[in-house]
Amino acid sequence: MQEGGYFLAGIGSRRSLRPTRELVTVAVSTLVLILLCALLAPSALTYGALSGSLPFAAILAIVGLGQMLVVQQGGFDLSVPGGVSLAVVIASHYPAGDDALLPTAVALALVCALVAGLVNGVLIGILRLNAIIATIGMNALLYAGVFAVSGGVPRITTQLLASIAGGEIFGIGHSVLFAVALLAVVWFVMKHTVAGRRFEAIGANPLASRAIGLPVKQHQVMAYVLAQVLYCCAGLLIAGITTQPTAFQGDSLLLPSVAVVVLGGTSLLGGRGFPVSTVIAAFFLTLLSQFALSVGLPYSAQTIIQALALGFGIAVYSLRWTALKTLFTSSREVKG
Amino acid sequence: MAKDMQEQDAEVVARLSGISKSFASVAALTDVDVTFRAGEVHAILGENGAGKSTLMNIICGVLRPDAGTIEIGGQSLNHLTPATAVAAGIAISYQHPAILDDLSVIENLKVALPSAVFDDDPRGVAQGILQSVGLEIPLDLRCDTLTVAQKQLLEIGKTLALKPRLLILDEPTASLDQDSTDLLFARIREVTAAGTGVIYITHRLAEIRQIAQHVTVLRDGKVRGGGRVDAVSNEDLLRLIVGRTLESTFPPKITEPGAPILVVHNLTGRGFRNVSFEAGRGEIIGIAGVQGNGQTQLARALAGLQPFEGDIRIGTEAFPQSRLLDQTAYMPADRHAEGLAGDLTIRENAALSALDRFASMGIMNRTREMEHVGRTFASLAVKAPSIEAAVSSLSGGNQQKVVMARALLAEPRMIIADEPTQGVDVGARAEIYRILREVSASGTPVVVNSSDAVELQGLCDKVLVLSRGRVVEALTGEEVREDRIVSAAVSAATHDDHAMGGQGVARVKRSGWRHLAQLDNAPAVPLLGVIVLLAVFGYSQNPHFLSPLNLSNILLLATALGFVALGQTVPLMLGAIDLSVGPLMGLGVMIASFFILDESSAGTIVLGFVLILAMAVVIGLVNGFLIRFANFTAIAATLAMFIGLQGVAFLFRDAPGGYITYPVTEVITMKLGPVPVAFLVLVALAFLSEYMLRGTRSGIRLRALGSSAESARRIGVNTDRVFIGGYVISALFAALGSVMLMAQIGVGDPAQGANYTLASITAVVLGGTSLKGGRGTFLGSVLGALLLTEVLSLVTFLGLSQTYQYVFQGTLILAAALIYSAARGRAAD
Repeated sequence: MQEGGYFLAGIGSRRSLRPTRELVTVAVSTLVLILLCALLAPSALTYGALSGSLPFAAILAIVGLGQMLVVQQGGFDLSVPGGVSLAVVIASHYPAGDDALLPTAVALALVCALVAGLVNGVLIGILRLNAIIATIGMNALLYAGVFAVSGGVPRITTQLLASIAGGEIFGIGHSVLFAVALLAVVWFVMKHTVAGRRFEAIGANPLASRAIGLPVKQHQVMAYVLAQVLYCCAGLLIAGITTQPTAFQGDSLLLPSVAVVVLGGTSLLGGRGFPVSTVIAAFFLTLLSQFALSVGLPYSAQTIIQALALGFGIAVYSLRWTALKTLFTSSREVKG
Repeated sequence: MAKDMQEQDAEVVARLSGISKSFASVAALTDVDVTFRAGEVHAILGENGAGKSTLMNIICGVLRPDAGTIEIGGQSLNHLTPATAVAAGIAISYQHPAILDDLSVIENLKVALPSAVFDDDPRGVAQGILQSVGLEIPLDLRCDTLTVAQKQLLEIGKTLALKPRLLILDEPTASLDQDSTDLLFARIREVTAAGTGVIYITHRLAEIRQIAQHVTVLRDGKVRGGGRVDAVSNEDLLRLIVGRTLESTFPPKITEPGAPILVVHNLTGRGFRNVSFEAGRGEIIGIAGVQGNGQTQLARALAGLQPFEGDIRIGTEAFPQSRLLDQTAYMPADRHAEGLAGDLTIRENAALSALDRFASMGIMNRTREMEHVGRTFASLAVKAPSIEAAVSSLSGGNQQKVVMARALLAEPRMIIADEPTQGVDVGARAEIYRILREVSASGTPVVVNSSDAVELQGLCDKVLVLSRGRVVEALTGEEVREDRIVSAAVSAATHDDHAMGGQGVARVKRSGWRHLAQLDNAPAVPLLGVIVLLAVFGYSQNPHFLSPLNLSNILLLATALGFVALGQTVPLMLGAIDLSVGPLMGLGVMIASFFILDESSAGTIVLGFVLILAMAVVIGLVNGFLIRFANFTAIAATLAMFIGLQGVAFLFRDAPGGYITYPVTEVITMKLGPVPVAFLVLVALAFLSEYMLRGTRSGIRLRALGSSAESARRIGVNTDRVFIGGYVISALFAALGSVMLMAQIGVGDPAQGANYTLASITAVVLGGTSLKGGRGTFLGSVLGALLLTEVLSLVTFLGLSQTYQYVFQGTLILAAALIYSAARGRAAD
C-alpha cells in the first residue's frame, strides 16, 4: 500500500496478548528461582512449605496490587500498615468470636477503608499535597483507629473468618484463590474497561490526558480509594489466617508492597501498571525467603538478598541500557 | 608576525569561517562566515529554524561544529567548550532566563557569577547590577514573584556584570516594555562604546534600525546577505528573510468558503487580547507571529485548556471552556509532554479519546476498537511495525499521525493543531496537510498555529498575525503569502503595554508582611508558639511536665530525632528523599555495640566512632551514585538501601547484645542544668547549617539544584557533585543521630532505628520544608522534631491512650502540610 517500510498490517491480530517485557522478566526470574530451589533446597518446594508460605504470598500480592494502583498514578502510599492493621483489628475485635457479627465487621472495615482512601485521594489528587506526607499522616490516623478499636491487645479471630480465609479447596488455600480472584478483577478492569484504560493513560501522562479532556483528578482519587479497599481485603484475610493477630500486623507489609510493585515493572514515576507481574513478584519474594530459609541462611541474609533482588530489579527496568551502550561505543553529542 | 595579525585585526572579537553543522543528516548550518567586531552591535536576523540558535550555541561552546574554524581574539580554534568560551569573555543571555524561583535576587546573582565579581561588598555590587538594567527590586525578594520581564532584565544584568568582550543577547526585548527596552538599549550603547562586541538576535526590524550597526540574515542555515544597517532597506532585509524552501506539497485550497461555521468574538485571556475572527465552512485558519506573542495561548484557549473571556461559537452553539475541552481535539506542539503516553502502545494512545464508542456498558469491545483504530490508521497511512508497539518507537511523523488518529476518532467539533509538523519528515508532512484539509472540508473547523510562514501560506485560507497578544493583521485568500505574514510579524512595533498580565513592571514595592511570611524560616515562629503553648498546657495539667527531669528527657529524645531530621532536610530540599536514614542509625548503634563496650580501650572506642562516620559516608555515596548514575529514583534507591541495611544489622546480631559502656553514654547525655549538651550541639549545628545554606556558595548551589536542575546546570552548578554531597550530609547527620540512639537504648539491637525514617520526614515537614525542593529550613526541622517529641510525651503525661498519640501525630502532619501549602499559594496549581 505504501512505499517502503512496513505498513501496519493484520489489524485484527491479537498481538496484545503477547507477554510484556516486564512479565517475561519477572516470570523468568521466578522460574530460575524455582529451578534453584529444586536443585539446592528441595524442601522449599514441598507441599508443607508451600502451603505455609503461599497464604502470605497471597496477602503480599493483594497489598502489592493496591500499592501498584497508587504508584501507577505517580503516587506513593505509606498508609499500607494502618489500612491493613485497621481491617485486622476490626475483623477480630468487633465480632469478639461471634460469627453472626462478622458481616457487620467486614462492612465496617470496608467503610473505614473507603473513607481513608477518599481522604488520601482528596488530599493528594485535589488539594495536591505530597503523597508521602499525606499518607504518613493518614497512616497515623488509621493507627489511632487501630488503638481505639483494640487498645493494642490481640484477640482471637472468629471461627467463620478462620474457615473462610484459612480454608482449602483441592489443597489450595482460600487466600490464594482470593488473591487470584482480585488479580483477575484488577486485570480485567484495567485492561478491558473504559475506566481502566483511562486510568492507565492518566498515570502514563496526566498532562496529555488532561489535554484530551479526561477527568484526571477523579481517577487519581480512585487510585487511593481502591488501594485502601485492597489493603482492607488483605487485612481481613490476615485476621482469618492468623490465630491471634497483633495490632501491628500491617507494618511488615509496607516495604515489600513497594518492592513487589517495583519488581513487577511498574515505574515509581508512574505509568503503566503490571498487575500479573506484581502478583508473580509477590510469589517470587516469598519463595526467595523460603529458599534462603531452606538453605539455612539466617534472617539477616534473607533480608540482604531481598534488598539485592530489589536493587537488581530496579536496575533491570530503570537503567537505560541502550543509552549506556551508546555511551560506551561512541562519544556523546550534545544537542541544542 | 603574531603582533602584526593582532594589530591588523584589533577590532575583530570573533570570526567564524566555513561553519557547518548538521543534526541527524539534516543541515542546520552550511558554510557560515561571520565576523563580529568590537564596539559594534551585530544583529542576526532570520525566521524560526533559520539556524540562529545553533550558531549561538556554537559560539558559546555548547555545540561543536562539524566543519569550519572559530577565531577568537586572533586565536584560531576548531571548537570551543563552554569553559573556554567563558574564559575568552563570551557571555550569553538566553531568551528563557536561567533565574531560580526559590532563590532571592541576590542569591541568583551570587550563584551565577564568579565570586571575584563581588569584591568585598556583595550587596553593593548586586545593587549596582540591578541599577544597570533599571530594576528597582529588593535584593532579598524571592524570584518567584518576579515577572518574566523582570527575570529577563536580571538575566541581562548578570551577563553585563561579567564585562564580556562578546555579549550575545537572544531576543532580549521579547517580554520588555518600552521603558525597559529604552534602558536596555542605552546600556548596550554604553558597553559597545567601551569596546564590547554585541550579537543581537531579534525578529524586529524596527529594533535593528535603533540599535544595530551591522546585520546578517540567515535562512535555511545559510548566510543570505547583510551588511551595514544604514546600507540596507527594510524591503531588502525582508526579501532575504523570506523565500524559505519547503519541500512539501500542499492540497488545493478551497475556492468558495461556505457559511461561517466558527465565530470567535472578542476573545481575551492570559497572553492575548480582543481576538475576533470567523471561519467559513472548509476554511483552515492559521495563527502566525514571532514566537511568544500569544499564539500558543490563543490555541490553548480555543482547545479549552486555558480560561478566556469572550464568545466562541461553532455552528450555532456556544462553547464555554469546559465544553471546548470536552469536544474539541487538541494536537499539542510538544508531543512528548502533552500529546502521547510514551509508555502505552499505539493502539492505546489512538483509542484513548474515543473509548466510550468502543465499549458497551463500560466494557471494551476489542473487535470494535481494532476495527475503528485500524480503519483510521489506514486512512492516515500510519507506518508502524505493529499496532501494539510502544508509541515511543515511532518516528516523529508517525507519532503525529497517531495524535491525529486519536483526534479523528474522537469525532471532535473542532481541531486545533499546534505546530502540527514540528519534527515531522517531509513525506508525513504532506499527508498531515491532506488530512487537515479533508477534515476541514467535511465541516469541522481547523485552526493551525505554526511558526513556519511557508506552511501557513501553503495550508491556510486565512491567517491571523499576532504581536504582543493582539491581531495585527488578518490575511485572507491571495494575501496569505509568506512575505506578508513575516512582514506583519516583524514590522509590528507595538511594545508591551502592561496589558498582558501586568508584565513589564520593573519595580516591586516591598510589602513587609508578605515578604516575612514567605521567608524559608517563617514557620519557625508559629512552631515555637505551638511548642510553648503545648508546654504551658501540659504544665497546667501536671506541673511535673516541665520538671527538669521530664524536660531533659524530652530534649534528649528530640536530639536524636533532630539530628536525623537535619539530615533529611537536605535530600528533601533537593526535591528527593532519603528513606535509608532510620536503618542507618540502627546500624550505627550496631557498630557501637562491638567497639564501644566496657572492656574496649580508648583507641577501640575512637575507632568505633570513626567507623560509624565512615559507614555513613559510604552509604551516602552509594545512595547518591545509584540515583545520579544508575538512574534509580530516590525512593527506589534508598528503599533498597533501607532493606539492605536492616539485613546487615541482623547480620551483626540477631538479638540484642553488646552493652555500650556507661562512661561514653554519660558523656553523650551530659547536661547543663536540665538541658542536655547534645541538644545545644544540635541547635548550634542547625544554626551553622542555616548559615551555610544561605551564606555560602555551596548552600546556595544546593538550593539552586533543588529549585530547578535545568537552570542550575545552565548557570554552571556541578549537579552530580552537589546531589551526591547532599546524600552524604544526610547520612552523616543520621550517624550523629545514631550516637544519641546508642546512649538511649544502650545496647546493640538490630530491630531499632527503622522508625526514624518516617519520623524524620514528619519532623522536616512539620518544620516547613517543601517536598517540592528548593526551599527548606534546618531550624524548622529541629523545631519539628521537638514538637513531635513533646506531643508524645504530653500524651503519656496526660494518661491518654495510644489512640491520642496517633491522632495528634496524624493531625499535626496533615494540618501542617495543608497550612504550608496554602501559605505558599501553591496548593491549587
